[in-house]
Amino acid sequence: MYLLRRAWSEIRNEVLVLPSRTLVLLWAAGLLLLPLVYDDAYVLRILTMTCLFAIFAASWDLLAGYTGQVNFGHALFFGAGAYGSALASLKLGVSPWFTVWLGAALAALFGYLSGFLCLRLRGSYLSLATLAFPLIGLGLLFAFPDFSGGELGVSGLQRMITGPTANYYVACVSMLVVVFGLWALADSRFGIVLHAIRDDEVAARASGINTPRYKLAVFTLSAAAAGFSGALLAHYLRVAGPSTLEVALSFQVVIWGIFGGVATIYGPVVAVFILYPLTEWLGSFKQFGELRLLIFAVIVLLVLLFMPRGLTPWVRDKMETQCPRCKQRNSFFKKICRLCGAPLQSKVTRAERLVGHQ
Amino acid sequence: MLQDILVTGLVNGGVYALLAIGFSLIFGVARIVNIAHTAFYMLAAYCFYTLLTRFNVGFTLAGVMAVAAVTLLSLLCYRLVIEPVREHESAVLIATIALGLIFQELMLYSYGGHFLGVPSTIDGVVRVLGVSIPYQRLLILVVAAIMLLATWMFLYHTRIGLAIRATANDLEVANLMGMNVHRVAMVTVGFSVGLAAIAGVVATPVTSVHPHMWLDPLVTMLAIVVLGGLGSLKGSVLGALIIAYVEAITVFTLPEGAHLKGVAALGIMVAVLLARPEGLFGVAFEEER
Amino acid sequence: MQRLTLAIILALAAPLAFAQTIKIAVLGPMAFVQGENHWAGAEMARDEINKAGGINVGGKRRQVELVRADTNEIQSVPDATNAIERVITRDKVDFLIGGFRSEAVLAMQEVAMDYKKIFLGCGAADAKLGENVEKNYDRYKYWFRVTPTKAPDLFRTLMAVLGEIGQQVRTSTKTETPKIAIVAEKAVWTEPIVKGLQATLPKMKMEVIGTWQPSAVATDVTAELSAIERAGADIVFTLLSGPVGISLGRQMGERGMKAVAFGINVEGQKDEFWQASAGKANYVSTLDTFSEVEMTPKTIPFVRAFKQRYGKAPTYNAATYDAIMILKTAIEKTGSMDADKLVPVIEKLEHVGAAGTDTWDKRHDLVWAIGKTTGIAVQWQDGKKVPFWPPQVKGMQPYKMPAR
Repeated sequence: MYLLRRAWSEIRNEVLVLPSRTLVLLWAAGLLLLPLVYDDAYVLRILTMTCLFAIFAASWDLLAGYTGQVNFGHALFFGAGAYGSALASLKLGVSPWFTVWLGAALAALFGYLSGFLCLRLRGSYLSLATLAFPLIGLGLLFAFPDFSGGELGVSGLQRMITGPTANYYVACVSMLVVVFGLWALADSRFGIVLHAIRDDEVAARASGINTPRYKLAVFTLSAAAAGFSGALLAHYLRVAGPSTLEVALSFQVVIWGIFGGVATIYGPVVAVFILYPLTEWLGSFKQFGELRLLIFAVIVLLVLLFMPRGLTPWVRDKMETQCPRCKQRNSFFKKICRLCGAPLQSKVTRAERLVGHQ
Repeated sequence: MLQDILVTGLVNGGVYALLAIGFSLIFGVARIVNIAHTAFYMLAAYCFYTLLTRFNVGFTLAGVMAVAAVTLLSLLCYRLVIEPVREHESAVLIATIALGLIFQELMLYSYGGHFLGVPSTIDGVVRVLGVSIPYQRLLILVVAAIMLLATWMFLYHTRIGLAIRATANDLEVANLMGMNVHRVAMVTVGFSVGLAAIAGVVATPVTSVHPHMWLDPLVTMLAIVVLGGLGSLKGSVLGALIIAYVEAITVFTLPEGAHLKGVAALGIMVAVLLARPEGLFGVAFEEER
Repeated sequence: MQRLTLAIILALAAPLAFAQTIKIAVLGPMAFVQGENHWAGAEMARDEINKAGGINVGGKRRQVELVRADTNEIQSVPDATNAIERVITRDKVDFLIGGFRSEAVLAMQEVAMDYKKIFLGCGAADAKLGENVEKNYDRYKYWFRVTPTKAPDLFRTLMAVLGEIGQQVRTSTKTETPKIAIVAEKAVWTEPIVKGLQATLPKMKMEVIGTWQPSAVATDVTAELSAIERAGADIVFTLLSGPVGISLGRQMGERGMKAVAFGINVEGQKDEFWQASAGKANYVSTLDTFSEVEMTPKTIPFVRAFKQRYGKAPTYNAATYDAIMILKTAIEKTGSMDADKLVPVIEKLEHVGAAGTDTWDKRHDLVWAIGKTTGIAVQWQDGKKVPFWPPQVKGMQPYKMPAR
């Protein structure tokens, strides 16, 4: 009983005070409760895929947004997880519940290797080098078709659980756990160090931070999360093929990440939840279904022109203002700060808002 | 076999060099990673194809029109799409990816996913050192060489070339010196895409034209500029030759591994990066404030 | 808004309409030639059936309604599975036909079997699709492959064709043991065929001088062709499904190579091949499916009507026409639309379609039989795609070798 009251007071004091956090709570609750009211298998399938891709996008943001290592080949980890889990479950005959972790572990290994190779690279060099990794992976896959199934991939995989609703819950719960976990990590001391590395690595090293270790850790962790989602997708579709390593997929996650807002973790998740069902819905129209990638690209371009930092920072700025004294965020309709009582200006000028921006 | 490798590597290297120089230039001057660079190459190819086959325009005129049209289009795209978001590097990245996708989808929609062939400008083969080379490939080599020379003269013997090099070296100081950085950037974009468009016009008779044709050269080109060093022209040319020769050697020595030529090229790039992170001739950038 | 109005009108009109329709989903990459052919073949079947009054389901006549589903499978496998789920749960179709990319069809097959819907494949050649039926009959029995024959059977067809033209080749090259260079794209489907060739060709008194395996999307095969020319090949045996087939045909012509390209060249099956290879790919031959020859009494009328309606010749994906006709026959025989009742009927069917005469084995793959399911072989002669095998079928013309 005490725990319940404690939980309620936490929610009231921490979550409901800010519109953005309230929205997140509503969204999570909505996702979990959806199958109870709306049972359509097609919609559940779309949302399952969305959840899996959301994990993928969030993992990219950890790497790219927080440490500034913009990874153009994130699909490598996705594919590694998919193939790892697929081959393990086929060759060892083990249940998928176990092999997804093996897939994630394999992806983490690839992440460590990639991170190691990229330690000395900076900026655009790193981005372009990472672009090469999944392509090398693809080449190797095609070179050993007996092992990897070549262009057909590995098929005939077991589902983790049968039934569209059950699969939906597996994906949804995994996503909530992983995304919140990544966000909590990014919001902690670990995350502050990552910010420091991105903004000025030399200064971070001068302060005594072992930056290579942090960079490797982030690569490994981000890869593990991406591999996890890849493994889940492979078992959902029951096929793990070279399409999981495609350049298009790597570009897609970069688009989601930047469209949603880098260095937020929740930004890419929002982007996936908006863009993926949207493109799918567009695709169902006969007249311009074939144009959906075009419409997608145009939308992304237009949004970028008006919200160059991404969608979620822009939305958040509309919903919340920052207290000039204690720098904590408050709802837009509040007149005084909820923590320090300082008067909040209703119209903050652009210059002031830039100062001390987080 | 040695002659085959020498000649094949040289000809392919020429095409790659044309693409790589343009990309390297844009990055060096404007700090823009233009993912849509090869997409302009594709647009030029489609334009050339349409003018040649649908409107029956002559080769030279079609080529000139295609290059001019694509260059103008690139300037327009730069003004409308890239310049407003110049400050946010990540936004520029996606903007160029989105542009590339838009061009791909437009071509897919207008022409379908078919593989189209452009007739050769010159027919026939010539035998050099026991290797038969189609005249078209010689043409590519000649054009590439001419354009390299033109680029060198442009950059090192004109005032605007000087401005471009200065801006590439240090943007802020160049601005302080009174150069109109925006105009310099536009000229660079136009020139680079012009090079890519010329590559599109001369190289397409030896490849097929289809909406996804911009992705393979994109990867190779990125490998080349990374290998040679971003922003370095010498590096781009040398990188192009190295990658082309690695590919040629792979195909000739391992016939059953011919599909691995892309992997071999990328492998070389990764290996070089491990040893020398800035690429062969790249300049290690100071931390830019 | 338009869709809503249409839905309201349909909902009001439905009780007044004559009967329910039979909904068949056509799944394919609609932006590409494979999907276009899927749809075109299906349209031809639908119009022909509906004009004749529809399908007789146990006494009641029902019209055929097609649902167009763009799977975009060439670019994205998840898009394909989304599309098939959508047509099953949203559009509530009764039957599924189509498919092209094997990786995507494997995933789509799973979805179709989950819902126990009959899925007739019209494009994917991977043997695994049939193996699934054999391994787990109760789950996968709803899958049948209408075209093509499974990948390993292509080897038998190639050997049959080679046997026919072998003598012509020997006479033209003036040697008893012609030299053959194998150019097979690096892919799973070519592996068993390559091994078969390397083992069988020497027994047919043909010398294999080398095997080259470029990537399926390679646009430049100069290196391979230089080496092949140097080795003095008489025949270039091709196993190509991607655009590398165009590059090969074109570059062989440009170099003026004496060798002749023979085998499988999927790009060579399309009308656009001549233009794509800039008119250089003369004497290139490949296996194919449709031409104006009398494989069955239905072939020539179908091909002519198709050409008239769509302005180009059909590719093998247009066998969706046969797929719908098979469904019609099965439904009219059983008098019901129940999938479980239709499956055993289709299994025992011998269907005379436009592509050939189809029967199925226990993997629900086509039974290989020359003149019935093997299709034809065609050769490009001066801009025209000329059929030349099997020679006993009416309409075949002779195979030509270049003058030496």
